[in-house]
Amino acid sequence: MDYQKIRKRFIPMSETMFFILFSLREENHGYGIMQDVEKITRGRIKLGAGTVYQSLSKLESDGLIQPTQEIERKKQYRITKIGEKILSEEIERIRELFQITEDFR
Amino acid sequence: MSKTRTEWFSTFRYMVPADYENWMEKLAADGWNIDKIGQWSSIRMVFKKTDPKQYRYIFDIHTSAKRDYLETYRQFGWEFVGQMASCFIWRKEYTAIRPESFTDLESIEKRNRNVMNAVMVSFILFTVITLVMIAATLLSSSSMSSEETRQMILFIACAVLFSTYLGWVVWKIYHNRDR
Repeated sequence: MDYQKIRKRFIPMSETMFFILFSLREENHGYGIMQDVEKITRGRIKLGAGTVYQSLSKLESDGLIQPTQEIERKKQYRITKIGEKILSEEIERIRELFQITEDFR
Repeated sequence: MSKTRTEWFSTFRYMVPADYENWMEKLAADGWNIDKIGQWSSIRMVFKKTDPKQYRYIFDIHTSAKRDYLETYRQFGWEFVGQMASCFIWRKEYTAIRPESFTDLESIEKRNRNVMNAVMVSFILFTVITLVMIAATLLSSSSMSSEETRQMILFIACAVLFSTYLGWVVWKIYHNRDR
């Protein structure tokens, strides 16, 4: 898929997508992602199985993540170059939002 | 007291996934449980009397569920109860916090949209069949006997009723898409 189309589909990104993509900077599987996201958000976000599966399917079909291997029937994923680019753009967008609101304080 | 309880046409009575889940959960809390759901469970389900259970049920739909779909749910501690066509039923016993499978609005809406689209396909199909039957009856009414006309009208009435029901289901799921 064309990069601009992917960009349009994912930016701005939902919090769920953001944290799943962020978590997949390192190889992980569905349940591991949930644990990782719960840890990095200090328990604020606990993803459910349906949400994780749906999100992984969408990210994979658009080429933002890719399956790497299967360990004990657990499919492992990792972020792709396109995924990294989209994630960087989203981080930049959030940083800009933060900066704008900070300037008003 | 009877040790079994039969429920008919459950998926036709509780069309919104959240309503179906709540209905199953209420039955479990009243001590009515089912351990296996199969292809024909949308028509007939037999529940057994057990101790009351606090189960969270999940109704999910996947037309082409891959192996990792089942594995993902199992890793999260969900028990696979069964499948009716492409509808998957999961459950998890809980004590304090009611577990969720869809934890954001986007995924809840996506699940409900998938269910709605599946019903929509049937709705369109039945509507087309109904229209074809009406057209065929009008075109050949002069050559049909009164008995044939009566039968055709009966078929059309059933098809119209079922199409209307399916349309109502689509409408109802659409208006409950966020839960």
